[in-house]
Amino acid sequence: MRLLQAIGSVFLNFLTSTGRLALFTGLSVSHIVRPPFYPRLLLRQIIDIGYYSLPVVGLTAVFTGMVLALQSYSGFARFNAESAIATVVVLSITRELAPVLAGLMVAGRIGAAMAAEIGTMRVTEQIDALSTLSTNPYKYLVAPRLLAGFIMLPCCVLVADIIGVFGGYLISVHKLGFNPAVYLKNTWQFLEVIDVVSGLVKAGVFGFLIALMGCYHGYHSRGGAQGVGSATTNAVVSASILILASNYLITEAFFAQ
Amino acid sequence: MSAAPIKIAIRGLTKSFGEKHILRALDLDVRAGESLVVIGASGTGKSVLLKNIVGILTPDSGSIKIDGEEVVGVTGHARDRVNRKLGMLFQGAALFDSLPLWENVAFSLMSAHRIGRPEARKVAMECLKQVGLQKENAERFPADISVGAQKRVGLARAIASGPEILFFDEPTTGIDPVMGDVIDGLIVKCVKELGATALTITHDMESARRIGDRVAMIYEGKIVWVGDVDRIDSSDNEYVDQFINGSIDGPMSALIAGNEGR
Repeated sequence: MRLLQAIGSVFLNFLTSTGRLALFTGLSVSHIVRPPFYPRLLLRQIIDIGYYSLPVVGLTAVFTGMVLALQSYSGFARFNAESAIATVVVLSITRELAPVLAGLMVAGRIGAAMAAEIGTMRVTEQIDALSTLSTNPYKYLVAPRLLAGFIMLPCCVLVADIIGVFGGYLISVHKLGFNPAVYLKNTWQFLEVIDVVSGLVKAGVFGFLIALMGCYHGYHSRGGAQGVGSATTNAVVSASILILASNYLITEAFFAQ
Repeated sequence: MSAAPIKIAIRGLTKSFGEKHILRALDLDVRAGESLVVIGASGTGKSVLLKNIVGILTPDSGSIKIDGEEVVGVTGHARDRVNRKLGMLFQGAALFDSLPLWENVAFSLMSAHRIGRPEARKVAMECLKQVGLQKENAERFPADISVGAQKRVGLARAIASGPEILFFDEPTTGIDPVMGDVIDGLIVKCVKELGATALTITHDMESARRIGDRVAMIYEGKIVWVGDVDRIDSSDNEYVDQFINGSIDGPMSALIAGNEGR
């Protein structure tokens, strides 16, 4: 009997959380399109999410491209398919690795920061103060972050695509002895618009999810420093899981035969 | 005083959190232009009462009317319109730590009243001066100033838009008695200058005597006594007597024991 009660309780909690998240998402999205708007706050978030994430996203991309070239070479050399390395690098980077790895890095950097900032505002009554100052917290705190996440992660991923391919080029040309012109030709030859676009669509969704998880967990944090800590952890973990799950769904939507 | 119209009318206000019943059909009137102080021990529902009035919490049942207009269940722009009449000083000041002090003070002017930054800054500087802060402090951030100064800035923010009703949540908690006296003096001065109605919640009797025209005592989610501040020592109410004398023995002993056990 107790087992059933425990299962029921977990299920009810899951439904409650899902409903609360759905309401939060709906309300937040509705405030993105309804005035008043806060362009200064949007600009600040764009700089935070986009500009300040570039170093970490760039470093991740360059090393990923380098490792990918090395690994591909050691594998493809076994059946004399070294010429496919450039294509493998560019397709892997644009379709999968740049959006997913950039998403995970930004989830750690931005999702955690959002949860901590909004969570601290919650437990120190700053969000209550916003309401008493006739300012909607969804509009002021959440909407600019969601919009900035949605806009800026694709920009970061576009940069990561270029840097990642450049990382593969560096290793292939300078370490593995490929001809630069041939490598670049192979890179472009099989690259299609859909490869880049699917990665950017993924990045837009991931950016939105990262900001949503950061804001949601921060907004509902309780109980002082410990609550803010939990909100930060939950924001990063849930954003990471959602990134990986939605990555599959978007890949299925774009490339399933 | 009794001829003044009712500014805030609360009837049958009930609020529970799960099995815990905080407000139990509470009735209270605040007259226009008066300063009413709600006193009571920790955990008796003072903060919950205030948060229900300003719309941070939604009551389970009951009515709250401000200027005769029902505000329970009112949301969106209608609630914003009501909130433009209100100003509130939070217990911990609740200043926005990402903004400099002057922007904290000018926040509602720029955000809700859509006043331009230069003009809002002028008003903010005037308000900071009113609460005794020099203009050199305007560009500092909340983390760079003392708790007492934060309360001053919180007060400046509360009065910046010239509200009709001011709420003060434990204004002297967390500061030394001298600063408490200063904050109380500023509250009285600001309320008088604005001609506002004020509702303060506190457990500090010295502060209640300095700020209030009338005092209401809350216990177990109900108002158990209301009267003029100069009648508080002769109220003949056992709850009030126990509270103002700080006595362990009395009708609130069970609550005190419960609070200690937390």
